[in-house]
Amino acid sequence: MRGEPLLQAERIAKSFGRHRVLKDVSLEMRHGEIAGIVGENGAGKSTLLKILMGLLAPGAGKVSVRGTIGYCPQEAVAFETLTVNENFQYFATAYGLRRNGTADSWEAAKNDLLGAFNFGQYENRLVSELSGGTRQKLNLSLALLHAPDILILDEPYSGFDWETYLRFWDYTERLQSQGKSILIVSHLVNDRTKFDNLYALKEGHLECV
Amino acid sequence: MRLTYIKTGTVMTMKETARNRFALILLLTVPVLFFTLVSLTMGDNPVAFRLASISEDTIVEVSAQKQSLIFIGVAAVGLLTSFLAMNLVQKGADVNRRLILCGYRSSELILAKLGVLLCVVVLISVYVGALLRLFFRPENTALVIVGFALAGLVHSCYGLLVGALVRRELEGVLLIVLLVNIDSGWLQNPIFYAEAQNKALIRFLPAYFPSQASIVAAFTEQSIAGAVAGSLVYGGALLLIALAIYFRRMKIQKNV
Repeated sequence: MRGEPLLQAERIAKSFGRHRVLKDVSLEMRHGEIAGIVGENGAGKSTLLKILMGLLAPGAGKVSVRGTIGYCPQEAVAFETLTVNENFQYFATAYGLRRNGTADSWEAAKNDLLGAFNFGQYENRLVSELSGGTRQKLNLSLALLHAPDILILDEPYSGFDWETYLRFWDYTERLQSQGKSILIVSHLVNDRTKFDNLYALKEGHLECV
Repeated sequence: MRLTYIKTGTVMTMKETARNRFALILLLTVPVLFFTLVSLTMGDNPVAFRLASISEDTIVEVSAQKQSLIFIGVAAVGLLTSFLAMNLVQKGADVNRRLILCGYRSSELILAKLGVLLCVVVLISVYVGALLRLFFRPENTALVIVGFALAGLVHSCYGLLVGALVRRELEGVLLIVLLVNIDSGWLQNPIFYAEAQNKALIRFLPAYFPSQASIVAAFTEQSIAGAVAGSLVYGGALLLIALAIYFRRMKIQKNV
């Protein structure tokens, strides 16, 4: 872990009406770091992630991002009446990726992800026809398609079976070895050793665990 | 504005629309059902009314059934296009926001949707106009179709507004059905309009100009230019409000 922080959140606060969800949250992510945030349901984990992603404006504080960012929301967010392949194409356009002809084309990245998470057989199926687990694989893959510098995952393995869970960690460790940063938010952490830093979100504050 | 982004957005929106089976079934069956019901229930007795957009002194006398067929045609186009437009902005709001987070601009996404919507409006208007000819031959079918297309444009802008404003489908559908039913299917009917106490209010409703264009084209040789201009201004105003709400809803904070 080295250099300038890729992601820096300083003194973030957020309230909904009178309810103060986040009181004073600061966080830094550096190259090659895997960090986790745990917390009870309703602790404000998803709110914090939405603020980090720019989906929600903080009440106070500042977020700085250096590099590209990938975000995997908690619920699978993809086009239901498009196929898996068409979803990849749509998001590849959003990321500004080329189709083919280069080593970093989105087709190559897509094939890599389909193989890594073992759902290549569903490439031409509509998302509405997929199981919850396969939708979650797609959800995660859409965040990974452009090989982001920072990956922010909200309950990424909630719908995974054991084999996919293991594949997920293999892939995550591969990304870490490439210097990518990964922030995982979950209500449950099975393996503490996988994380460089683990934080708990309690009563609006982030504490090291 | 990046053309590749708009092109991909348009292709994907077209695919989504074409795979919306419920909407396709509605599109095919609603006009047939509406026309059949009117032709079975309305008599052929003549009715006389004034056409507001031409002159309060000019009286037109036509068959009650034919007059109702025109109005139900406007209502069918209005209902279908507003429903489809609402569906386009409301249904995929989360995934569209994710696309914006990944690099799309909300203007590129909305342009793709508007392009598809325009094609759908033209298709529905031509389809309803062609069906109408099975029941009777208007004075000028092409201009009646133009009137239907104007109804489609105004109502699809209304549908976009509802879709941008309301997050849940049920509320959106109710807002659409209520307005189309009261406006196109009732208040704009010249028989009701002639006796109405507050005509200014009826003229302010979305279906006024398109209804006038359709009925003028169906039963007279008068120009529909005024009704066309009125429809475009009305639709444009609704579109601007809808876009303002849509852009606000899709806004992302830039964390630099």
